[in-house]
Amino acid sequence: MSDRVFSVILLPTAECNVACDYCFEDKEPHRLSMVMLPLLTRQLLDHLEHEGIEECEIYWQGGEAMIMGPAWFAEAGRLMDTAASTRGRRFKHYLQTNLISYSPVWNEVLRSMFGGSLGTSMDYPNLHRKLFAGGAEAYTRLWTDRLREAVAAGIEVGVIAVLHRGSLEAGPERFYRYFTEELGLKSFQVNTPFPGGPAKAVAADFDLDKSVLAQFLAGLFDLWMERGLDAGVALGPFDALIHHFTGAPARLPCIWKENCSNQFISVDSKGTVAQCDCWVTSYPESFFGNVFRDASLTEMLRKSPARQQFVERPKHLVEHEDCLPCRYLSICHGGCPVRTYSALGTMLAKDPDCEVYKAVFGRAEAHGRALLRRRLLTGVAKPGFQPAPGRPVAVAVR
Amino acid sequence: MLQEPDASLAFLTSAEAEGHLGGSCVVIVRTRGEFARWLREPAPGVEWLQVEGLLPDQEAWAMAAQGTSKVPLDVILTDPATEFSGLYRLVDARIVRSVRVTMPAAPGFLKAVRLAASLQLPVRLLPGQPSAEALAELTEAAHFYLHDPMVETPVEFFHSLLAGLRGTETGTLWTMLEEDPLVFARAEAQRPRDFVETHLARLIEQGAECAACRWQKVCAGYFKWPDPAYTCAGVKQLFASIESAADEIGRDLASRESGAS
Repeated sequence: MSDRVFSVILLPTAECNVACDYCFEDKEPHRLSMVMLPLLTRQLLDHLEHEGIEECEIYWQGGEAMIMGPAWFAEAGRLMDTAASTRGRRFKHYLQTNLISYSPVWNEVLRSMFGGSLGTSMDYPNLHRKLFAGGAEAYTRLWTDRLREAVAAGIEVGVIAVLHRGSLEAGPERFYRYFTEELGLKSFQVNTPFPGGPAKAVAADFDLDKSVLAQFLAGLFDLWMERGLDAGVALGPFDALIHHFTGAPARLPCIWKENCSNQFISVDSKGTVAQCDCWVTSYPESFFGNVFRDASLTEMLRKSPARQQFVERPKHLVEHEDCLPCRYLSICHGGCPVRTYSALGTMLAKDPDCEVYKAVFGRAEAHGRALLRRRLLTGVAKPGFQPAPGRPVAVAVR
Repeated sequence: MLQEPDASLAFLTSAEAEGHLGGSCVVIVRTRGEFARWLREPAPGVEWLQVEGLLPDQEAWAMAAQGTSKVPLDVILTDPATEFSGLYRLVDARIVRSVRVTMPAAPGFLKAVRLAASLQLPVRLLPGQPSAEALAELTEAAHFYLHDPMVETPVEFFHSLLAGLRGTETGTLWTMLEEDPLVFARAEAQRPRDFVETHLARLIEQGAECAACRWQKVCAGYFKWPDPAYTCAGVKQLFASIESAADEIGRDLASRESGAS
């Protein structure tokens, strides 16, 4: 069996129980039927077998995945894992949720199917994640309650924060302290936003000045290095970058892969296959096919003209953009295709956040060198910093 | 008189390799069919596959990323300046098996070296008798290899030359670049097994600059083949720049050791 990783971002529903005002997803009421799950599972296992891959990571997202209920997941997990075991393969499940529907009834399936962990999202300050009735403040109160309940139950929680203008105005210090002191988190991640899907008025709040964003991220990086690194706080993607620049194995986020088309796909509740959840929820022109209608997932991926664009993108960038001479080509490869497409209407260009990434990489490189120097001088093999526990490589935007 | 068994590595075409019973070999594959056959069932003794002309073939590389065989690959570029972007096709294959890229030091090759390095693909650079333009690019490539922190995999011959200058026994440039017929029996090269020894001896006898060259032991007349009239001034400067880096490493290590004691 090979060491290749294959991941599927699986959206059992596009329905959602909250009303975040920047959400670009098309929330069509539809849910993945248990009747269809065996076919989906077989298609995935056939593909794994063909590719000689032993393990597939399933990132359950939405819409809001918890709408499906714990019993549905328990049955889905049993069905998929049994089928995989029969064929000498493994699924590893991860859950990304807004946590609003969490209650103790979820604990059993979270432990048995999801390794006792889940991922969720919260911004600081929260201005845009809202309940249908109650707005952003009510959302934050409810989410915080749910977070504390999950943590008290022993569930390991990782949080993704999407940056917006309010975050930058608050500054790195307040931002960092909210997650680490107010929420008491040991693992969180920052994402840069992008204006996916149809234009919305609120998108302006996420259209961030690149130099201000770069400054914020650099400041946050410095803060984390000063206070979080040795305290065991994992802050993505900074922790992965530090691993990289200190010579340790690093699992960088999907936006910086050589080619995301090599490593994962997304499937929605109707069986539509696209590159990732950002594409499958917003850009029909990017769809690869349908796993319930196409005879073979492998053939679909091989022949899809839409997918071919993803495959060719990195080649195009090194031929036509300024990526080839870039010092950070090996950890960036031109950045994220959906970020590029949503900003420029084409994926055949480098990520518009290029200068932001360079600023972050530069910071990471400087910190990495200082760390190595410190280790060399003090003889310490490794500081009190452990790699973040298996964070999903696919980055949930929300 | 007893003859020593031939311990050299034979480079065989796919057809020649079928049924080869003579020990270790490298199989040269030039079609998708040949590639598929040797990926599927490499046979004991096959050290690696030398893959020629298949970089544009996406299906071939999808195949190389599958299956249970781990046979390593040496991917040959003939025109690195135009082929370089195709190296992205090797990304999945290099996860499941060792993959190296070999290329001539033809104008524009540095693009391929940069991209190969960014994909953590080792590189074997065949300098031949470089023109002034190629020498300038070789010098830039050496600087890239020595100083760019993104480089994590070897770029030969710089890598072995540096190791040799630091005291590791690495043999001559012919060995480093896998072109010594005593060890690497490449049929297309059509050189006898004792070629390196006799070639250098002839150069010295004919009064070539090799006789007094300080790099004679490591170069062994590499840059005087095929044209013995080739002027080595530029190459000597390239060697000197790598030697300078080796000396710098030595000084840094010595100062650390003396600081620690």
